[in-house]
Amino acid sequence: MQGIQLCADPAREACFRVAQSDSEMQVFEDSMSEAARRERLHRHMNNEMGALEIAAQCLVDFPDAPWDLRMQLARQASDESRHVAGLYRRLRQLGGRKGEFPIGNFEWAVTNMCDTLAARLAIQNRTFEAGQMDLLGALRKIWRSMGDETTVEVLEHILADEINHVRFANRWIRTMVQEDRRLLLKVASAVRFLAETNTALSAASNGAPSDAAKKHTDLGINIEDRRHADFNEEEINEILRQAGMSTFVAAEGRG
Amino acid sequence: MGLILREKAEYLGTFRWLEIFLMETLARWVPTTPEMEVKVLMGRHIWDAAQHADALGKRTFELRAPLHYTLSPLTPYFELMKELAAVEDTPGRIQVIYDVLLPALTARYQEYLDGSDSLLDEPSYRVIHGILGDYARMRQENDALRKELKDMLVFDASRAEEWRRKEAEIGEIVPRGSGATLAVGAHA
Repeated sequence: MQGIQLCADPAREACFRVAQSDSEMQVFEDSMSEAARRERLHRHMNNEMGALEIAAQCLVDFPDAPWDLRMQLARQASDESRHVAGLYRRLRQLGGRKGEFPIGNFEWAVTNMCDTLAARLAIQNRTFEAGQMDLLGALRKIWRSMGDETTVEVLEHILADEINHVRFANRWIRTMVQEDRRLLLKVASAVRFLAETNTALSAASNGAPSDAAKKHTDLGINIEDRRHADFNEEEINEILRQAGMSTFVAAEGRG
Repeated sequence: MGLILREKAEYLGTFRWLEIFLMETLARWVPTTPEMEVKVLMGRHIWDAAQHADALGKRTFELRAPLHYTLSPLTPYFELMKELAAVEDTPGRIQVIYDVLLPALTARYQEYLDGSDSLLDEPSYRVIHGILGDYARMRQENDALRKELKDMLVFDASRAEEWRRKEAEIGEIVPRGSGATLAVGAHA
């Protein structure tokens, strides 16, 4: 895709249309119209399905990983399954259905190109899931402002689980890198690969930042939950700087 | 059956292998099974199998084998597991787990309980009773899913029957006499 090799899509039912770029996803002028709300849930449901598949694939691809880490991955698979089911239930309550909107499998396609568990945890848990923590932190407020407490409750539970997934990844990456410094290079090259892929896909959309990346920047960083997930202050400050929130870094520093 | 202590560790180590096999088989099938609801069911049960393996692995240590002692079953059973793990269609995969493996393992665990002592080996009983309770719930969840997807999935009962027959034909599955010597080299 755009000159970058990515992992083939996981299996999906025929009712789903799989998009290969952001431009193929459905967007709405009114981002909280009834259809747009269903699209949000539908997209989120598929992302959770991808997270389930990535955790499961880690169990398959790394049978010699420490048992305690495999236990965490197994638990994550179960959590992500519940997230899919919870979002699907809410989608149907709002009159939606599977396959109503296009879906994308970008996270699966990128993460599974990494050949070490540390790199996959860095990409999927520490980057994508941590990013989702930021999004969920803000989205809860948006759904609440619409008076939809049922969806807020779904998102609250998902957020709590995601914090655990990011935390165990942060801890295990540190442990694994301490034991084998060469893994640091693997992690760094995985992060660079992700950045290059994002740039390539951006270029394909006439240089505009991807829809997801733009939304993420607009919604801000969930500092409190990043702390819960074991990001240290230096890492949080770096994320804020990258998101163009240097002023906030200074304010945090003063606080 | 009247198992001695070392044999109990061997049984539990073999059960642990089977639970890890279950966990890894479900994990392998999640990305390659198209139906979302089936992925969700399998994804949830990955965690059940992992917890079973964990509890068994801690119990083997208490029976003077290594922590997370794991023994691969005897060759005929190992080969059957490989055959079952190669099934590619969704109804077949569901049958393998819920119509063949879980009932078969229930019987194997019961066989262990029959050969042990509920007082002296009470910690093993507790672990196994927990597993059997989980199996019953997992099968109920599978029944509910099958009802929900009854218009989507078509099951061939004769195929499950054939797999069950093959499984039942295999008597011994635990490598006997491997004991502490083999246990030293085993890993989780």
